[in-house]
Amino acid sequence: MTAVVDPGTATREKRTSSLASPSLGTFTIVFAIAAPVIYVVSELANLPLFTYHPGTGRIDFGWAAARANEGPAMYWYGWIATMLISSALLGALTSRFLPGLGERLPLFLIWLLPLLALPILAYALMPFWTR
Amino acid sequence: MVSFLFDYISVNTFWTIVLVVHALLAVATLGALTHQAMSVALPVRQATDPAGFVTRFRAVYGAGYATAICVLWVATFVVGAWIYTKYRIAIRIPLERTGYWKTLGFFELKEHVAALGLAMLPAYWYFWKNSKNPIYDSARKAVTLLLAAMCWFAFLVGHVLNNARGFG
Repeated sequence: MTAVVDPGTATREKRTSSLASPSLGTFTIVFAIAAPVIYVVSELANLPLFTYHPGTGRIDFGWAAARANEGPAMYWYGWIATMLISSALLGALTSRFLPGLGERLPLFLIWLLPLLALPILAYALMPFWTR
Repeated sequence: MVSFLFDYISVNTFWTIVLVVHALLAVATLGALTHQAMSVALPVRQATDPAGFVTRFRAVYGAGYATAICVLWVATFVVGAWIYTKYRIAIRIPLERTGYWKTLGFFELKEHVAALGLAMLPAYWYFWKNSKNPIYDSARKAVTLLLAAMCWFAFLVGHVLNNARGFG
C-alpha cells in the first residue's frame, strides 16, 4: 500500500515551525519594546540618522539646522531610520545570542510603551498647542 | 523620477492623485483593522441564526487579516512619507501663516502615531501567526486594539488636515 503525502504538508509544517521559533519571537518582541523608547529618545535628544531638506532635496548625516533661504529641515525620516535600524540591530543580536529571551520579557510592554510615548511626544509639540 | 508626468498633468494634479492613493490605502487599512479589532474585542462565541450586521462584522477570522494589514500599513506609510516632503513646503507653511497651529500639531502627532504603529507590526504579525498559542492572547488583543485606535486617529487627523488645505 502506498502512502499518499500532500506535497504541501511538509512546507506548511516547516513554515509553522519557523513562525513559532523562539528566535523569531525574540526578534519581534525585542524590536517592538525597543522601538518606541529609541524613537522618543531620538526625538527628544535630536538624534535623527539624517536630516532632509525638502526645499533643496539635500540630505545631511545626523541633525542639521535649516539653512537660510533653503526652506525648512525635516527630522522625522531620520528619527524613523534611527528607530528601525537600532531596534532591528538590537532584536537581531538578542535573537542570535539570547533566543529564549522573548519568552521571559513582559509582553504588555509592547502596547504600554507606545501608549506612554504619546503624551511625551505630544508634550514635545508644545509650541503647536500654545500659540 | 516622475518629472516626465508633468508634461501631461500639473504638479498639483499629480500630488492630488498620490494623496487619493494614500487615502484609499488608509481606508483599506482602517476597514481591515476595525474588522479584526472587533473580532478580538467582541468575539462571536457561537453561530447565531439569523446573524445581524454587527455579528457578521465581528465574525471574521482575525488571523487571516494580519499579513494584509501589515502590508497595507507599510504601503500607506510609505506613500504618506512621500507626500510628507511636499506637505512640508506646500501645505504646512501656508497653514502656519494662517494660524492653524493646533491642526498642524495634531498632524505632527499623527506622524508620530504612524511611526509607533509601524514599530509594533513585527510583534503584531508574530502574535497573529501564532494565534493558537494562548500565551500571546492578551498581548495580541491589546496590540490589535491599539493599532486600530492609532489607525482611526491617523485617518481622522489626515482627513481634517486635508479639509483645512489639500493639494488642489
